[in-house]
Amino acid sequence: MSAANDTDGFGWVSRTIHWAMALGVIGALGFGTYIARMEVNLSNLWMFAAHKTVGITLLALLVLRVVWHLVSRPPEPLPAAPWKSAVARWAHRAFYLLLLAVPLSGWVASSATGIDTVVFGRWTLPAIAPASEAWEEAGFAVHSVLTKLLALLILLHIAGAVTRRDGTLRRMIAGRAA
Amino acid sequence: MLRAIALLLLALATPLAAAPVDYRLDTDGSRVQYRVAFGTDEIFGVMPVEDAAVALDFAMASNSSVSVTMNAAGATANFPFAAQALKGPSVLDTGTHPDITFSTTAFRASGNDAEVDGLITIRGVTRPITLRGGLFRERGQEPGDRSELLVRLTGAVQRSDFGADGFSDMVGDRVEIEVLARILRDE
Ligand code: HEM
Ligand code: HEM
Repeated sequence: MSAANDTDGFGWVSRTIHWAMALGVIGALGFGTYIARMEVNLSNLWMFAAHKTVGITLLALLVLRVVWHLVSRPPEPLPAAPWKSAVARWAHRAFYLLLLAVPLSGWVASSATGIDTVVFGRWTLPAIAPASEAWEEAGFAVHSVLTKLLALLILLHIAGAVTRRDGTLRRMIAGRAA
Repeated sequence: MLRAIALLLLALATPLAAAPVDYRLDTDGSRVQYRVAFGTDEIFGVMPVEDAAVALDFAMASNSSVSVTMNAAGATANFPFAAQALKGPSVLDTGTHPDITFSTTAFRASGNDAEVDGLITIRGVTRPITLRGGLFRERGQEPGDRSELLVRLTGAVQRSDFGADGFSDMVGDRVEIEVLARILRDE
């Protein structure tokens, strides 16, 4: 099993990052929705920190993914109807944009509250926005809207992946289409 | 504790003190406590008192006056994030408004209780507030000795009245305040 991607398939590095991020993103969507609605008290305050830790980890994985895909180009999509290929291409681009913008907006909004952004229980991240109510509100509004777009895109992506019967899904799981 | 050892002095009007007497604040011995609901828990902490001018008229309580400046930027809380949230832009915004000030508009004493009407300025917004409490002597002080006094005043604000409404989905609107100040007569 090769680490690198080639013209026919995904190496294990790309596949591991894909599935790790898929798990993390779907988890963060659910968990984020939960913490935004729960009644906060001293015993569940840690959940915000946990969400930020997962979110920042996903941001780091995204950077890793982009760098890796520059080093080791992923394979071309399997042949399909032009409109399907176009939708898939744009969906994948949109994923990269959203996977950058979602955690950044969370970080911006968190910075704007004036509260330290602490991840892994020990590292305080620098504030990337001024402590300001306007930034805080805008940041969380953007975070909330973009996460909904991301959830919709995931549904579309899953629908595409499971309805294609040409080995596309197998290629992301096992590396090769056949 | 205070109640047990102290006797309210405002009630003991004596003709000796016919004019307001000035006191200065012992800043180290003075603080303002606050508490506010946080889900099923509470956020509480203290704010240092920076400056205060107190003039007490023991013959005519209504001649008395108090003005206090609190250092909101120096506030503490029972857990670190709360202190940061409290001082942050959506609550006290201490970057722009480092102080909270209070000054009396009316002073009433009846029986063992004192009631103080005043104006409080939080986040640059000024609103009326009524504080209740009294003056006490410290442990071991002679009756009639007014050289050192303890002031205890309590009240509450709705923080939304001052635009300090950040985290309103998590933290209560009503903030209880207790002022504990040690004042020394200007000799
Ligand atoms: C891919 C990464 C992330 C995903 C998928 C994600 C997802 C979500 C979702 C779905 C919500 C609920 C939004 C709502 O319904 O209002 C949320 C809330 C939140 N997110 Fe994220 N998030 C991510 C990264 C981050 C990061 C990196 C931070 C901060 C450093 C962050 C901070 C927050 C905070 C503080 C809330 C709560 C907002 C509130 O209480 O209303 N998130 N997140
Ligand atoms: C949060 C969830 C997910 C995200 C953000 C995501 C993102 C992506 C991205 C960006 C690609 C393009 C390849 C790359 O650049 O790495 C891709 C490919 C793929 N994904 Fe996902 N994915 C997610 C979840 C899923 C799930 C749940 C499935 C399966 C049901 C799936 C199946 C696939 C398949 C089969 C491919 C290969 C497409 C091809 O060969 O052209 N993904 N995914």
